[in-house]
Amino acid sequence: MEVIKDLYLLNSAVKKQWESFLQQHGIDNFNNAETKYLNQTVGLFDEHDQLVGTGSIAQNVMKYVAIEVHGEIHAGVRFNKIISALIQRLDQAQISHYFVFTKIKYVSSFKHIGFHCLAQVPQGALLESGFPTIKNYLAQLSQPNSEQQQVAAIVINANPFTKGHRYLIEKAAQENDLVYVIVVQQNASLFTTPQRLYLVRLGVQDLMNVKVIDGGEYTVSFATFPAYFLTSSDAVIDYQTRLDAQLFKNWFVPALQIKRRYLGTEPTSHTTRLYNDNLQAILQPEVEVLVVPRYQLADGQIVSAFQVRHYLVTQNLEQIARLVPATTFDFIKAHWAILQQRIQKGWHGNGN
Amino acid sequence: MEIKRIATAGTLESSDIQITIAPGNNGLQIELQSDVIKQFGAQIKQTIIDVLTNYGVQNAQIKAVDKGALDLVIKARAIAAVQRALEISEEPRWEVL
Amino acid sequence: MSDSATRLRRTMMFVPGNNPAMIKDAGIYGADSVMFDLEDGVSLAEKDAARYLVYEALTNIDYGDTELVVRINGADTPFYDNDIKAMVKAGVDVIRLPKVESAEMIQDLEVKVAAAEKEFDKPAGSINLMAAIESAQGVLSAAEIAKASKRMIGIALSAEDYTTDMKTHRYSDGAELFFARNMILHAARAAKIAAFDTVFTNMDDPEGFYRETKLIHQLGFDGKSLVNPRQVEMVNKVYEPTKKEILNAQNVIAAIAQAQKKGSGVISMDGQMVDRPVALRAQRVMMLAKAAHLVDEEGNYLGE
Repeated sequence: MEVIKDLYLLNSAVKKQWESFLQQHGIDNFNNAETKYLNQTVGLFDEHDQLVGTGSIAQNVMKYVAIEVHGEIHAGVRFNKIISALIQRLDQAQISHYFVFTKIKYVSSFKHIGFHCLAQVPQGALLESGFPTIKNYLAQLSQPNSEQQQVAAIVINANPFTKGHRYLIEKAAQENDLVYVIVVQQNASLFTTPQRLYLVRLGVQDLMNVKVIDGGEYTVSFATFPAYFLTSSDAVIDYQTRLDAQLFKNWFVPALQIKRRYLGTEPTSHTTRLYNDNLQAILQPEVEVLVVPRYQLADGQIVSAFQVRHYLVTQNLEQIARLVPATTFDFIKAHWAILQQRIQKGWHGNGN
Repeated sequence: MEIKRIATAGTLESSDIQITIAPGNNGLQIELQSDVIKQFGAQIKQTIIDVLTNYGVQNAQIKAVDKGALDLVIKARAIAAVQRALEISEEPRWEVL
Repeated sequence: MSDSATRLRRTMMFVPGNNPAMIKDAGIYGADSVMFDLEDGVSLAEKDAARYLVYEALTNIDYGDTELVVRINGADTPFYDNDIKAMVKAGVDVIRLPKVESAEMIQDLEVKVAAAEKEFDKPAGSINLMAAIESAQGVLSAAEIAKASKRMIGIALSAEDYTTDMKTHRYSDGAELFFARNMILHAARAAKIAAFDTVFTNMDDPEGFYRETKLIHQLGFDGKSLVNPRQVEMVNKVYEPTKKEILNAQNVIAAIAQAQKKGSGVISMDGQMVDRPVALRAQRVMMLAKAAHLVDEEGNYLGE
């Protein structure tokens, strides 16, 4: 009988064996930024104690799944054993909802064991399983009423909420019956997800036709966009931004009857430009994409959350005051010590 | 009985069935995946519903991935999953077995 | 429950308690006993799931004449009480307790089994017990363990934990197990219950498996614990009686029948008295011969 065993990658001999097995099966990206976040790894061993399959979990994402297909045992049997073992471990960790990124040729294998495809692009697909599902997530959002015909969406990280965000949302609110502001879930940000949501809600509470919603796990976040916060190759960025755009189009657009998506330009960010290009290519013509030039102060100073974080690191409150609305500024002042502590603890000024 | 946590029991291996139970608010809704859904789909669902009903669960979302499980296996996995979901695994309800 | 004294127990096949495919097919390999494992063969997180799976199997699957054994989790685990209750409710033939070191452990189990029989309306005394000996202390207490309860039907050596306890490991010649095997065998014989040898896990070494099985057969064990269905036939082969043994057994049985016909209280054969041990051995040889299909229903020799 083939048995599942835990593989402890901290044991360098085990890690070597694991890497060499994966290399034999066409996986050779052992970027430390990826592998060090693996929470658990399992191996499947045959009767001769040979490694014949493996899979890993990073938070709620299955990764590095590979199966030896030679020999008498059908590949599907081993595949199902590995995925079962991963699901059991997720269940024990009280993670009931999980994702997998996979090549197109494995999509049907995952669908066959209960996964649902969220988005598929030529380079690969994103699938989910467990609860709550994307349908559960979308069902709890409030839908537009019958008078709200022109519905727009803006997806922001808002780390933190700036005058630039406010400008973009205000513009969309004037041009549409209803605007959904979807705040990305990303707890690795300097401002936590609840803090960012709070600041966005506070910053737009006077705009009656704006609804702020938590993007859950379905917007640019750890699951849908793992390399976004890493310095990564264009191919990876292209793949992941396409997936994100496709997911938005497949699920958010029909559920919330979205007709338009507003984007801010980011002249200094290569990643954002690629993202915006892919959004336009994939969403149009079904969804109109409006690119709004980045908001600038009267003196030409560009307003971005990145600038705000820069001034947080350099402890320049005066500059921060120019870039953020009063609501955000008050919050930063009130939480100054905690934010500085987070920066001290190793949060770096780059990333999002 | 209210579902306390989302719980899974069973595997995706041959002759087994993986059953996940989550809170719901619209009766017992089962999403079943099976190669024999045409012949046995209704029976598989009924077995799961019977177990949940025995435990007094009226609202739940259930996902079942069947790999050719016998009825007794479906029942056993449903029992394990519902006891975990109700957080009573350590105090089983013997009268329900 | 068939008569414990005359039941064949050549093979006790281990089946992991959380594996539906193996549980479903456990009856088809012809093992004399099947042992569903809730202990080492099941990970901690799956203990509850395995318990209900084995429960449902025991109450729904027809395993024919196969003796059904369940290895429960030990008294030092949180699964012990629920395992006992579930298996008594399922009406298993035998509960096997792991890591037994004293008669008290069996007596404690017996009290709980008796209470569960009452709770679930099972006939009192219907569930049998057996003990696995897995430590030096267990080996030294084997005699009292074997006699700890009227429900005891057998005692088994479990060599993996035992050799670890002895600060050694298993060798192919089995020298490290000689003392334990003999202690367990003597304890079983003195208590008139069955003795089971430990598992042999290396499926790539059939020669070693045969060597070990022949050794324990020679010592007098009733049989062996198995981890793979392929081993059933191999053990049965070793336990096949010879043609000479069968013919001799048939003569003994015929002599008994003849004496009964004559109404004679004394049974003799070839000038020797046929006493009870001789008669029992003849019966056992014929059971083995029948099980190996060496004789037909009437006892006619079919071999070669």
